[in-house]
Amino acid sequence: MVSVVLASTVVVVVALALFAIASSTLYLNTYAWWDPKTQVRTSYSGLLETESVSFSLIMPCRNEREDVMRATLAALLTQTHSKKEVIISVGHDDPETVATAYRLANEFPELVRVSVDSNETKNKPLQLNRALEICRNDVVGVFDAESIAAKALLSHIDSVFMTRNADVVQGAVQLINYRDTWYSLRNCLEYFTWFRSRLHAHSRQGFIPLGGNTVFIKRELLNAVGGWDGSCLAEDCDLGVRLSTLGRRIVVAYSPELVTREETPDSVGTLIRQRTRWSLGFMQVFAKGDWKALPTRRMRLIAWWTLMQQHFMAFAGVCIPVAIIAAVWGNFPLIVTLIAFLPLIPTFATIAFDLCMLREFGRDHRFELSSYDYFRLIVGTPFYQMILAYSALRALVKFQRGDFRWEKTSHAGSHLVYIEQAAVAQS
Amino acid sequence: MALLELRPPVRPPDQGIRPAHKAPLDARHSFTLRRLSRQDRLVMAALFIMAVVFSLWNLTGAPSYQDDEGTYTAQAFSVHKGTLAPYTYWYDHPPLGWIQIAALNWIPMLFNLGDGTAIGATRYVIAAFFVSSAILLYMLARRLTVRIPFAALTTVVFILSPLSLVLGRQVYLDNVAVPWVLLAFYLALSSRHALAHHVFAGTCFAIAVLSKETLAIFGPALLLTLINRPRWSNRAFSVVGFLAVGALVLAFYPLAALLRNELLAGPDHVSLQEALTFQFLKRSGSGTIFETGSSRAELLTGWLYFDKYLITAGLIAALVCLFRRNSRAITLAVALFALPIVLGQGYLPAMYIIAVIPFLALAVGVGVDIAWSGTEKLWRHHAGLKNPLRGSFVVALGGSLVLMSMPQWFEQDRELLTAETNTDWKNTMTWVQDNVSREDVVLAPYSMWHDLNSSGWDDPWSMIAVEKPDLDAQFDQIHPGSWRDVDYIVVGPTVLANIENLGLTRTGKVLENSVPVKTFGEWSINKMTVPLEELAVRGTP
Repeated sequence: MVSVVLASTVVVVVALALFAIASSTLYLNTYAWWDPKTQVRTSYSGLLETESVSFSLIMPCRNEREDVMRATLAALLTQTHSKKEVIISVGHDDPETVATAYRLANEFPELVRVSVDSNETKNKPLQLNRALEICRNDVVGVFDAESIAAKALLSHIDSVFMTRNADVVQGAVQLINYRDTWYSLRNCLEYFTWFRSRLHAHSRQGFIPLGGNTVFIKRELLNAVGGWDGSCLAEDCDLGVRLSTLGRRIVVAYSPELVTREETPDSVGTLIRQRTRWSLGFMQVFAKGDWKALPTRRMRLIAWWTLMQQHFMAFAGVCIPVAIIAAVWGNFPLIVTLIAFLPLIPTFATIAFDLCMLREFGRDHRFELSSYDYFRLIVGTPFYQMILAYSALRALVKFQRGDFRWEKTSHAGSHLVYIEQAAVAQS
Repeated sequence: MALLELRPPVRPPDQGIRPAHKAPLDARHSFTLRRLSRQDRLVMAALFIMAVVFSLWNLTGAPSYQDDEGTYTAQAFSVHKGTLAPYTYWYDHPPLGWIQIAALNWIPMLFNLGDGTAIGATRYVIAAFFVSSAILLYMLARRLTVRIPFAALTTVVFILSPLSLVLGRQVYLDNVAVPWVLLAFYLALSSRHALAHHVFAGTCFAIAVLSKETLAIFGPALLLTLINRPRWSNRAFSVVGFLAVGALVLAFYPLAALLRNELLAGPDHVSLQEALTFQFLKRSGSGTIFETGSSRAELLTGWLYFDKYLITAGLIAALVCLFRRNSRAITLAVALFALPIVLGQGYLPAMYIIAVIPFLALAVGVGVDIAWSGTEKLWRHHAGLKNPLRGSFVVALGGSLVLMSMPQWFEQDRELLTAETNTDWKNTMTWVQDNVSREDVVLAPYSMWHDLNSSGWDDPWSMIAVEKPDLDAQFDQIHPGSWRDVDYIVVGPTVLANIENLGLTRTGKVLENSVPVKTFGEWSINKMTVPLEELAVRGTP
């Protein structure tokens, strides 16, 4: 009798925890659609006529193909905003990319410079810090080597800095090669919900893990906080946490026309490495504990939840079926078994909303989605969830071992095909 | 070519950039609890007091306790013990209705309300649901942009209609489900078009259906309420959220059946499948409404007896509701609800009407509001007619209320608020409690079953509800002597009809072989007189 009560209590507690996690995911994913007013609030402010800030854009590269770099650079140089410079940031142990970088810089000597990082340890934050030293303009922006910025992006970012009196502006990134692999559609939609909705919810709560791409920070502020953390795998998230803790004004803006376009990882292995790195980075940021300096208990709770939610979410997808099977086979009282099923309500609701979001994703980016796409989005979900769970687990193992080596995502340039196609359709 | 095929098809660009997300245009849908005007507050407080007084006054005196009330009371008390019913739960109704009663009925029991009877105390719980319905009805009318006086009229009609008042104080699952369905409509009409409200509307509707399955008939009307408005950008999300979450919550009922291994029919166990076939296909029908003397026709006559004015006025007003976009769902709701009454032949329970009463009242409120808007237009065109038109509108409305419905309403409501119809019932019960040994096996109608059983028998197989010897297979296991094991039968006004309608042969045998030992009006307590030749079978001296 006592053992039944004890086991039942465990099942109920686990089920309620999973319910909370799944509900939180549902809330964050759909935040932007709660109310049409939220949608207005989360879009860019109107474009001002005059330019008021100048930009230094850092483009960190490592083992990149020349065509990928050239496309990224072209998108930055053809920005409608007039006051900008680009710094290609490379590492000294990667001579081919260094050579490409210099070749590109020589083509546009007055706009492009190269920063070579000669640290023994190689990672993105160290490269960024090296590049930061030679930045000259008001605002520093980061663009990953494989990302294609929208032409009017900088002008709009400029306006946001002015009208919203921002210290940091986070623009949106969108993966677009949704047809390439079985996981790419899920991956694309994940980015869509992240930048379209989740970040806005975090922004509203005053605690934002920033993204590493299309992020703009006032240079003085960046120098004042000592740049990026060179030992952190999620340097972007870490910077967001530190700036949130300082109470700086971080604005997140979204407009489908202004997203920076990127490609999904080219294989499941790459995806797992990327996700492991992110998970590990979040764990590092959590362990660093800067968030504990937040002023109120409520804020600290939000920060704790935001940093942990990533891992919770990854595990929830695997734990929910396990908990249900355990509850059904364990011969518990009916009410206990039914409670074990509760997390399925927000989980399935999230998937139902995913279909609406996929429709919106297609509309925003003018992709002709077929019913097969909707079908494979649903079918792919459990498998994608397993990849996330596996990566989180892998990160946890690495975290325990103290293995913080940088696993870089390689870029094949498959997003460029989609952009060309879109450009052909536009003209 | 191969490369081309790998590329996603891209739609030609729209003309220019898509317009920003549209906010809803219906700013008039501004009624929310957060910003209540002074008038709304006062009216709601007055309506609340009125609903409380009318629902509590003489609550245990009239109407007389029904067997169904006793069934749900007994089932609610079983929930406290961790089961869904004192006998085998056979999926007659989804259990959420009496689970909600169980969540609340300890409060009136604690304060010893209801004349010291469990069924009386449970009526107090129903009163809480009735008051909630009354207030929600006003809120719903206001959200449908009905003017304050007419919204108040809606609720007053709902409270004062004898049909509503007599059914609204009885322990029926429909009364538990009604506030949930009203809340679902209120949330679906959320002025902010907030997704959360629409998702909760789906949840509330699922709770309503799990409280009383017949309310599922409002589903299409609710969906119409949600979407029949100027287009807004998140509409797809709202519809998907409403449907998905509603369906997921509903799914817990078949899931529970599945987990008990009772979803599909099989030998030696009850099942949801069998219960559904019984309720919808096999249960002896009520005939058609056009056939005089059929039980359907009789039911309608009964409902009309209690309030022909509300039913007639509500039906006419439901047609008037077609003239305003946001109230067309009311027409649909009333029409859908009427379908099984008019076209059906299957079993129709007497309390079926309960769920449509608030919608009839709402139709009246909205209909009057539409008529007022019409006259307003008239006097705008003919300025001189303003006062005469307004005056005659008020006189016509007030006159029709006072002259037509008030006399009948007053008479029936007064009866309901003063009559003592449960005296014989109470005396019978007390007599059994005082004079029958707890060792004796007693058959009792469900209306007093729980109160008797909990007064010392505490065993559903020695204090037995009259239907159970024939309808629950467990009886044979516990009473090998079958009907001969029974010592007493409590006979109330419904027992004979039940024996006939449900084919209760064993209970019939008991009645045949028993004689009254005590009589209170329509009630009597009969003691078995076992024939000598039967004693041998029974095996006791």
